[in-house]
Amino acid sequence: MDHTLSTMESNFRDPNEAAAHLRNLAADRDTLAAGVTPPRALLAAIGALAACWVAAALDTRPGADYQSPSWTWLLVGLLFVILHLIRRDTGLKFRRLGARANGAIALAALVCLFLFSVSLGLVSLGLGWAVMLTSLAAFAAVYGLTGVAFRAAVDQLRAVPHA
Amino acid sequence: MPLLTSSARFPMPEPRFDEVVHPPTRLRICGLLRPLEQMDFAVLRDTLEVSDATLSKQLRILGEAGYVRLAKTTSPERRDARRITWVALTPAGRKSFDAHVLALQEIAGTAPVQPG
Repeated sequence: MDHTLSTMESNFRDPNEAAAHLRNLAADRDTLAAGVTPPRALLAAIGALAACWVAAALDTRPGADYQSPSWTWLLVGLLFVILHLIRRDTGLKFRRLGARANGAIALAALVCLFLFSVSLGLVSLGLGWAVMLTSLAAFAAVYGLTGVAFRAAVDQLRAVPHA
Repeated sequence: MPLLTSSARFPMPEPRFDEVVHPPTRLRICGLLRPLEQMDFAVLRDTLEVSDATLSKQLRILGEAGYVRLAKTTSPERRDARRITWVALTPAGRKSFDAHVLALQEIAGTAPVQPG
């Protein structure tokens, strides 16, 4: 029986059936991409980490002897924990995120750097209270951009070639 | 479907019909796993709309062929000690799946032009 089945499969030459198999593969990926819900709470947690990092400007002494607060490394550790939770929550570990997602992540990092620089400037001018605004901006930007990155990574599952 | 034809990092494999990959459920399993590093067993089952037993049986066959590997991790949220099972295509599985899809595309008449 196994031999018969094997022979049947080796003689598989039906173009319509082959095309149907290929369509099913694309349909499955569409189903998968459509079924993934962005983990909004965890993306907001990444936004909160960005806000904390920008707020760390309050804990600095801008100038020649500038030193980054050591506790900001804790934020990096928390970021890895959140990324792990996102994987577990969605049940997907991506091989590649795709150009759009990587672009959104890079933009989020640049926005954070910019806002951190602005915050340092504000602190040096004695406007520490205004860091609250840059922190809120960091939260909003990172939450939005990580959402864009997540959606882009999921959407590119549809486009990834089979080979 | 577009294929990576221009990048030297991902050379196009030779079309090869693979009888282990070809049965519909196994082909669909490989198709879902192909773009991912790993996928939760439960997400795979729900996307394919098959039972645990059916998926386990097909994964066992693919595993015996060396095409998939399973990894179990604990889940602190689950008090009954159930584990999350991650499923992944092995490099051999990816290669066989890619070659099989090219064979299907050839049969369907949608195969990409091989670079000369």
